[in-house]
Amino acid sequence: MKILVCLKQIPDPEVAPRDFRLDENNLIADPASAGLVTNIFCENALETALQLKEAAGGEITVLTFGPAEAEDVLRKALAVRADHAVHVINPGLLHPGSSGAACVLSAAIRKLGSFDLLMFGREAGDWGEGQTAGLVAEHLGLPFVAFVDSLQTTESGLHIVGQTDSGREELTAAGPVVVSITNSDANVPRIPKTRDIMMAHRRDITTWSLEDIDLTEDLVREAAGSVEVTELFIPEKDTTCEFITGDSADERIDAFARRIVDVIGSI
Amino acid sequence: METATREVYWNISHHWVMYVLLVPTMAVALYGVWRHVQRWRAGKPVVRFDRPVMRLKRLIRFGLLQISLWRDPLTGLLHAMLFWGFITLTAATTVVMIHEDLNIPLMQGRFYLYFQSLFVDVLGLLAIVGTLLAGLQRWVLRPRRLVFSGEASCLLLLVFTILVTGYLLEGWRIAVTDDPWGHWSPVGRVVADVSAAFVSDAGLRTAHVVVWWFHLVLVFGFIAWAPYTKMRHVLTAPLNIFTADLDSRAGTLKPLDFETAASFGVNSLEQFTWKELLDLDACTECGRCTDACPAASAGKSLSPRDIILDLQHQLHEADVSVLSAASKAASDPDSGPALPIIDTRPALSPESLWQCTTCAACVEACPVSIEQFPKILDMRRYLVMEEASLPPMLAEAVTSLEQRGHPFRGAQASRTDWTDGLDIPHFRDVEDPEVLLWVGCGGALVDRNQSSTRALARLLQKAGVRFGILGRDETCTGDPARRIGHEFLFDAMARSNVERLESAGVRTVVTSCPHCFHTFRNEYPQFGAHLEVFHYTTYLARLIGEGRLVIDPAVTESITLHDPCYLGRHNGITQAPRDLVGRVTGRPLKEMRQHGAQSFCCGGGGGMSFLEEEADTRVNIERARQVVETGADTVAVACPFCTTMLEDGLGAVSEERSVAVKDIAELLWDSVSSDSSDGDASTDHIDSSDD
Repeated sequence: MKILVCLKQIPDPEVAPRDFRLDENNLIADPASAGLVTNIFCENALETALQLKEAAGGEITVLTFGPAEAEDVLRKALAVRADHAVHVINPGLLHPGSSGAACVLSAAIRKLGSFDLLMFGREAGDWGEGQTAGLVAEHLGLPFVAFVDSLQTTESGLHIVGQTDSGREELTAAGPVVVSITNSDANVPRIPKTRDIMMAHRRDITTWSLEDIDLTEDLVREAAGSVEVTELFIPEKDTTCEFITGDSADERIDAFARRIVDVIGSI
Repeated sequence: METATREVYWNISHHWVMYVLLVPTMAVALYGVWRHVQRWRAGKPVVRFDRPVMRLKRLIRFGLLQISLWRDPLTGLLHAMLFWGFITLTAATTVVMIHEDLNIPLMQGRFYLYFQSLFVDVLGLLAIVGTLLAGLQRWVLRPRRLVFSGEASCLLLLVFTILVTGYLLEGWRIAVTDDPWGHWSPVGRVVADVSAAFVSDAGLRTAHVVVWWFHLVLVFGFIAWAPYTKMRHVLTAPLNIFTADLDSRAGTLKPLDFETAASFGVNSLEQFTWKELLDLDACTECGRCTDACPAASAGKSLSPRDIILDLQHQLHEADVSVLSAASKAASDPDSGPALPIIDTRPALSPESLWQCTTCAACVEACPVSIEQFPKILDMRRYLVMEEASLPPMLAEAVTSLEQRGHPFRGAQASRTDWTDGLDIPHFRDVEDPEVLLWVGCGGALVDRNQSSTRALARLLQKAGVRFGILGRDETCTGDPARRIGHEFLFDAMARSNVERLESAGVRTVVTSCPHCFHTFRNEYPQFGAHLEVFHYTTYLARLIGEGRLVIDPAVTESITLHDPCYLGRHNGITQAPRDLVGRVTGRPLKEMRQHGAQSFCCGGGGGMSFLEEEADTRVNIERARQVVETGADTVAVACPFCTTMLEDGLGAVSEERSVAVKDIAELLWDSVSSDSSDGDASTDHIDSSDD
């Protein structure tokens, strides 16, 4: 089975809140204020892919669209034994968004050839839009299943189990399919073996510019144009503590209940 | 008067048979020894015969005087009796041999009377008492640490019978020959008088012949059998003590050369060094290591003794030719483990290996210099680096170290939160800095410890020390990575830290955490660091000594002290913390049952503070009970990990009595601020959450 996993590098969501800063001019996270990590849901997707490969054989290609530093997420994927890595360099577009990214990734996937399974994280920890996988499926004219947490190969094709608002859905896909992966107990990312980390640094990564996949900055900007970032701020969390008083437990419970009704009413 | 002596064989004819029997005896014994040597030689090379004078000193201390055995007075006494009795009787037999076989008349005159008769007679009696005490311990007292094997019982009975028959032979000879110097052998004299009262001379002569040959067969049997039993420690223990690691403190781990190492860690016998294989054969099954092990004491499955003994069984079961072949192929990384060890026996299960806190109590307790926990670490290295197999919470700690430079997944604090309102400069902004205050992840990122760190910084400010911190430029030293077994990650962190400190021009470091202290002091030199390193307790003690910091006794609560393993046992610093606590109370502290170099771990070392422990086998609860036992109001600590582990432990045993946990820096600052106007420390613990 040929599997493609798309990976995104994002600012570390676990950065200490006090350390996190914004670049007010460019409306992005200040790159100096947080380390860069692989988006956790992308890691869940990669882990699911690795397990599929171990169970059924095949090849895993990892693909990312990002600046030069994003090579790191590919090295990490190679260290857990992804087979091929492709890096489409972002020439400096600040807000490609899901639409821009989907445009770039689809073009790269077309150039890479056909895959049986295309895997994405369910959303990225920076913007949290959760659109890219669906948009790529649209671009490529492939079926799409969101919020998948289990995948198995069967004789009739891929057995897919996903989460929905009302429960779980089970599907079988006969041909190529795009899935977005959510986290589960079964896809906690593994840590790499040391020898594989060392080997990963010696492996080749295919690096493409936008022109290499028949795109230009303007085309991507145009694709991204449907969404514009107009304001960016860190929400202020306000916590107040209030003690309910009263002479007896009944009085306090009564006052407490009234206060809850007030609070709910004021929202 | 005639010269005092005795006839050697006297009643025994055909004693040439003895020499004939000696040949197979020695052949069997030497074959046993040779097999051991062959097995050890399959290990990797390591230099352990350099610096003979230092080694000889160790041998005298631990091998001859056996100082570590005396921690348990009964064992110290009985072993000394057996040991010196054994030496003396061997010497006496050698004298007989020189006298009889080399025809050099030694056994006469005063030497015969004082040494060969009186001294040997008394020491032999003590050896018998020794075997009786050993029997008392093995069969009546039955301490849990011992291995109750048939082999051990047989050996004890054998030694006892050899000693007793020796006295029977001596007594009967004295009785029949009416030895004029018999009273120089008081025990023999008593045996002679008692025997003569009941048995005729002819009867004694016959009994003498029978028992003489019986005694001989037992002695030869013992000699032939010894190398195949734990009695081999007569040879292996002194050798092991002599070849011990002189360069490392117990807790200092060795770096790996990742370019050349065939295996990252150990999962096969031939991947150990020859000294590590010798370790296995030096074990006397005494069980002091497991007795001292905090994890074992708390009821976990980890047993350093059984790890050594299980590895020993693996070693003895291994075909020597397979072992040698594996040893030759060991430089090939693709060869894999030829004689796998992890998970082959109960004590070697990954579950047990992941319980070690690296406190080194086992190494400290071992009377024959076996290094138990470094072997655990070697196997952890294999699990982590070759198999990428480790408990999920430790994997998270490793990932966090890699991505964020600290091991606390989900930490909300930043490295400088604790400095709020204190005006602590970055090291680069300090003019003519005296020291870098290395705060450490535990001191900066864990809410509870921020008040300890604040107290320490205020004390340094009060003493006028020109110091700075690295703030956001500080990262973990890599200690948790190294002790979890991820040497590759530690290697990278160590190199980058050494480089960072070098380029910042840091020469002196004061750490708040004993783990950082140990890493800087003992492990970073492996990566080219040349730093003067202080744990804050020794540094503050020095400031007080220089008069730069004045502490008046102002704390009235009664205090006990928990010695952090990486301060006390690993680095021998036990006095400075006591001096500081003495300063604030003005009186001696209440010592816990286990303290100083024999301190009991809080349960947090070796990455274990990142694991959820089973509720009924938590190490920190064991230690908390020892704290409560002292009756103290407060337990003083000097390590951020110990602080949180003990607070958790004391919380769980709080129904017994509530005991406060305070860092020594907090106690000192309380003391300083309570009698001066510039302090607000007493409210600091409460306010720290607002920082």
